[in-house]
Amino acid sequence: MKLNVVGKSVVRVDAYSKVTGSALYPQDIYLDDMVYGKTLRSERPHAKINIDVTEAEEIQGVLKVFTYKDVPKENIHGVVLKDHEVFASEKVIRIGEPIAFIVAESEKVCDEAYNKVKIEYEDLPAVFDPVEAMKEDAPKVHGESNIIFNYKLRHGDIEEGKKKCKYIVENTYYSPMVEHAFLQPEAGLAYLEEDGTLVVAVATQYPHYDREEIAINLGIPEENIKVINTAVGGAFGAREDISPQIHLALAAYTLKRPIKVIYSREESFLTHSKRHSMTMKYKTGADEDGFLQYMEAEIIGDSGAHCSWAINVLRKAGVHATGPYVIPNVKVDTYAVYTNNPFTGAMRGFGATQVPIAHEQQMDILAEKLGMDPIEFRMKNIFRLGSTTATGQVLVDSVPLDKCIEEVNEHFNFSEEAKEGAI
Amino acid sequence: MVNIGLTVNQKLFEISVDENLRLIDLLRDKLGFHGTKEGCGEGECGACTVIMDGETVNSCLVMAFQANGSNITTIEGMEKDGKLHPIQQAYIDAGAVQCGFCIPGMVLSTKALLDKNSHPNRDEIREGISGNLCRCTGYNKMLDATEMAIKYMEEEKE
Amino acid sequence: MTLNQVYNGNSIDEVVELLGKYGKEAKIVAGGTDIVIALKNEKISPRVLIDITKIDELKKIEDDGEYITLGAGVTFTQIVENDIFHGNLRGLYKACRMVGSPQIRNKGTIGGNIANGSAAADSIPPLIALGSIVSLVSSDGVREIPLEDYYYDQVRDNELLRSIRFKKPKDNQVLNFSKLGLRKALAISRLTTAVLLEFDENNIIQFVRAASGALGKYPMREIEVEEYLLGKKIKNETIDGAVDALQIAMDERLKGRSTLPYKRTAIVSILRETLESGNESKNEVGAW
Repeated sequence: MKLNVVGKSVVRVDAYSKVTGSALYPQDIYLDDMVYGKTLRSERPHAKINIDVTEAEEIQGVLKVFTYKDVPKENIHGVVLKDHEVFASEKVIRIGEPIAFIVAESEKVCDEAYNKVKIEYEDLPAVFDPVEAMKEDAPKVHGESNIIFNYKLRHGDIEEGKKKCKYIVENTYYSPMVEHAFLQPEAGLAYLEEDGTLVVAVATQYPHYDREEIAINLGIPEENIKVINTAVGGAFGAREDISPQIHLALAAYTLKRPIKVIYSREESFLTHSKRHSMTMKYKTGADEDGFLQYMEAEIIGDSGAHCSWAINVLRKAGVHATGPYVIPNVKVDTYAVYTNNPFTGAMRGFGATQVPIAHEQQMDILAEKLGMDPIEFRMKNIFRLGSTTATGQVLVDSVPLDKCIEEVNEHFNFSEEAKEGAI
Repeated sequence: MVNIGLTVNQKLFEISVDENLRLIDLLRDKLGFHGTKEGCGEGECGACTVIMDGETVNSCLVMAFQANGSNITTIEGMEKDGKLHPIQQAYIDAGAVQCGFCIPGMVLSTKALLDKNSHPNRDEIREGISGNLCRCTGYNKMLDATEMAIKYMEEEKE
Repeated sequence: MTLNQVYNGNSIDEVVELLGKYGKEAKIVAGGTDIVIALKNEKISPRVLIDITKIDELKKIEDDGEYITLGAGVTFTQIVENDIFHGNLRGLYKACRMVGSPQIRNKGTIGGNIANGSAAADSIPPLIALGSIVSLVSSDGVREIPLEDYYYDQVRDNELLRSIRFKKPKDNQVLNFSKLGLRKALAISRLTTAVLLEFDENNIIQFVRAASGALGKYPMREIEVEEYLLGKKIKNETIDGAVDALQIAMDERLKGRSTLPYKRTAIVSILRETLESGNESKNEVGAW
């Protein structure tokens, strides 16, 4: 078979426009008669709010200050659960949550009006630690419980597994939130075409979801909305949740003027998801021959104030909790938990990147207890062709992990260094 | 407002600007050179890099009025007679372009480096682009691209 | 205040006159690497801005054989690219080389580094170790103050920081500098040290001036380190002793600060690196 692309170096279609600077990111689009928007965001993690926009709307050049009252239909969105208010209505649940959207003739007037919007905050008890948030008496972010999701993985018999172990190591690991920091801060434009079609030009990972959400919020058919995906200046998962799209659509639809918004780097940090921080409690055990027999893990992921992809991320963390090792007796519980922290969501790896911090250190510690070379210990336990994972999957295709480890070991000489105590 | 005159990509502009306008805003909003990107607004990311009087600067840290009398090159000034600059071509050929937002600044930093040192080693190239952040982690490809560009420029001379 | 007057200063006299006229309402802008951010964030709101980057006299590096004078507008790139700073002045070269990024070094100036008053300013500890004198000019005339005193008696509203000068190190002197940053480029110093050492023919320190950055409210002279080192040779025990002396001084100065335990530990290798490289480089400087 002759392949045209596989095995060949292909020039990306947008490379030319990107090296010449002609590629259009949303901030690069300028329309006639365009107005500007600025989002007013919560400064408190958990508080009842009272909003007064009267004074701000009186400023010359201000067209309107949108709040939850101005959303024609549903004031809610979210990729999995609809738990993300377009504008906070009764209370704010995180710092950075949108409260109002100021639209004015220039960015300067937006800034001026920003200080004239009166927000009264009445602070509520807040919770920042997901472990605390799981307790019954913890302040609630949404509804009755902060626990969004519990994934359970049960494989074999852990009591039997424990009996076979010579050593069991127990440790708790923590990985922090991570910011994607894609280089192009969020920006977008919205305008009406002559036939009334609402156009939103934005850098997004999900134009079709965006369209669906906008239709629900504005109460108009999806067919009347076009979402144009411009050049996207990096995303890494952080453009999966809606940022300025609905605000822009609402303003253009209501005011019938083209509108543009550009976030600063600081606002970009405030507005989109982060990588889930995880608290990972692990018990891992091996028999005297160095075979893994038992693993138990409890993994708590901080979802922050919104669910976003927490269910999928914590499920994936659970599925990958054993690492690439055959362990006959496994019990894993992962939890996604609301707090008043910045919300977390998709980021490269989707939950599979946090757990290696725990399972690999467990492997090193166990190897040390067994007096075994950490590479040799791994080679005894890794997935190979025909292995069964803790989720019951039989690996029938390519599983070249042994080759990979051997090559890496040869290159970096880990085994030798381990003997000398360097690692 | 203050009247200033400056040369951008060999074209003279005389314009009246706000006192508090930054060079990046002048280039993008007033003169239409939107290839210059704003990534952080405080000189950390280098996306707004332009060459000002022979040296790279972060255009978000220069006031527009300070550019009075200056000679500036933006990414739009790199092409000559409809032909890409060898650095631009090399960035394409080496696969160094991903999301592209850092690329205009990165290309200009590479140019300023090669203008001063026509045969930098890989460490010197790293140093030359150390003021330009890429989040798609393409630095190695950018080093490859720079080495490729050096070759292209030599071939051009022959 | 709203910014509504800007000037491209053409000469020192003109700038001094403008400062006399506008005083508090005016700010000087040179490299802009700090002030443009402060303006944007409304940390400062001057009515008048005076650019000094086009004044040639402020961009000069002068070597009269005995003294080196740096115009306030000399950029870090100018210092890095000038051979004068590659010999026994390498500590100043190293400090300037580690500022920000190429773009920041192309614009950022020595005068700005001083006038901005940051505790973490990279170029200041080596300049203090050199015993530098700051020259300020106003319509009242010229005022000169040692750089180490500058932070307690800063530039006044009507003054322009014109230049900084220091005595060229003797052949048996060498200046060294070390910085701890979180990464190689674009890192604000966590802490820095700079030491000017003079050795006699038996390698005994016969003169020393030490300074630190980010170990207090401002970059400062480290007298206790100097007193300890004087009359000694650079050996492991001496370095340990110098570290002890500096830690005792830090404990007092940074008492109650959350950063103290970190800085106390981090200073060990930073001061060691400064002193060891000072010792090693005396042979390379070619004066012995």
